[in-house]
Amino acid sequence: MSEKSYNSFEEIKGKIKEQLEFFGGTGFLIRDCFYELRRKPVQMNLLVDQIYFIGVKSLPLIILTAVSTGMVMSLQYGLGLEKFGGKPYVPRLVASTILREMGPVFTSLMLAARVGAGIASEIGSMVVTQQIDAIRALGTSPIQKIVIPRILACLISLPLLVAITNIVANMGGLAIGYYELSLDPLFYFNKVLATSNLKDYIPGLFKALVFGFFISVSGCYFGLNVKNGTKEVGIATTKAVVVASLSILVGNFFISKLFWVIEKWL
Amino acid sequence: MALIEIKNFRKSFGSKAVHENVSFYVKRGECLGLVGGSGCGKSVLLRSLIGLEKPDSGNIEIDGQDITFMSETELIPIRKKVAYAFQGGALFDSSSVYENLAYPLREHTLLTESQIADKIKKQLTEFGLADALQLFPSELSGGMQKRVGLARAMMLDPEVILYDEPTAGLDPYNTKKIQELILRLKNKGVTSILVTHDMPTAIAVCDKFAFLKNKTIAEQGTIEQLKEKKDSLIHQFIEGNLL
Repeated sequence: MSEKSYNSFEEIKGKIKEQLEFFGGTGFLIRDCFYELRRKPVQMNLLVDQIYFIGVKSLPLIILTAVSTGMVMSLQYGLGLEKFGGKPYVPRLVASTILREMGPVFTSLMLAARVGAGIASEIGSMVVTQQIDAIRALGTSPIQKIVIPRILACLISLPLLVAITNIVANMGGLAIGYYELSLDPLFYFNKVLATSNLKDYIPGLFKALVFGFFISVSGCYFGLNVKNGTKEVGIATTKAVVVASLSILVGNFFISKLFWVIEKWL
Repeated sequence: MALIEIKNFRKSFGSKAVHENVSFYVKRGECLGLVGGSGCGKSVLLRSLIGLEKPDSGNIEIDGQDITFMSETELIPIRKKVAYAFQGGALFDSSSVYENLAYPLREHTLLTESQIADKIKKQLTEFGLADALQLFPSELSGGMQKRVGLARAMMLDPEVILYDEPTAGLDPYNTKKIQELILRLKNKGVTSILVTHDMPTAIAVCDKFAFLKNKTIAEQGTIEQLKEKKDSLIHQFIEGNLL
């Protein structure tokens, strides 16, 4: 075997090992979380702190993203459908796309960037400065103190943020419908209410739950696995955001497909 | 009877062996100085004593209990009686000194908040840090951080304290302060292991020494025994003739 192909082989082997370690490591992390949840109740003060940091502090970013998304979609659908006289269908299309796809996906991607990176870098820094060791040495569990509050806060905050995105994005769509497409605001509003139903809401909220899990688990896993100093904190942060974003985008397809099958079946 | 006993301890990271066949013990109330060149694995050994590192093989016994392969939950009672003073203090940087010291009390005792406050004020006064109560770790000097770390480790009145380089990087004044603290705790009957390069402090506070070299304990004995033996490894180490 030539040196070049040997190096490529070693590189592939290393990548596979890294992937297996990630899946195995996150599996163990989730198992430890369940074990700790059974052993001791969640500390509400830590959970509330995290909901504030993850949920409340993300609101300006999420609102800005939502309103821009809604406006752009309304504009694009309006421009496209105008040629065929299909402007009245804009509210329905915008609402459906936001509720099912864009709301959960864009909100989760923004949260992966803000919160996933924050979790990984914060925990990674705590590892480097031996604060995680100190938590263990003082007879307490980093899973209980650090990981569980962050995962639960993501699971609680993301569906709520997605609900807010749904409302704000539709309001953005309505504004463009009125100013750019000359649609009556009341007509737009009633059309959204009349055509949106539970079949649109449930997949979006389910996605928010799953994506919240992806964001928090990858942030915690990569943060806790920082070993060799501050340089690795940056690497862990990047990995957490990349893995969370990819999981969201790939996961979105599979969840959409799942609900598509369920809807057909029902 | 030994309070801490290590038998045939072996530890490696990947293919690199750090310790092989390490054995020593510390009796109740004794202070052991664990010395050796930089990077010989003193801190790894110390961390293993409260389960922060798991050995590949061998046994670690604390007060007759084999803790070698205990789970994190099983280690909780051990960690309540064996405190670890980290080299840099390892203080929670988003919490004040008060919150750092309150942490172990809130977690492991049923004290009320006013009792916790009283205990913290008393502890900080004893450690010469009465004015630091509301400060954050970033507002403290290196010496103060070490002392707060030590004060936090002492909050649960542990039977054993493991000191990881408590005087590293400190000026003579703070070194003396830490030395006095260690001696005061020792006089209270606290068993301890001191990892250090600071030989004057080690000689001042330790009853016996273990010299770590070539992955194992190359020499151990009381300070009197080592003083008599002029060609001992520790003598050579102190005089800078040995790494």
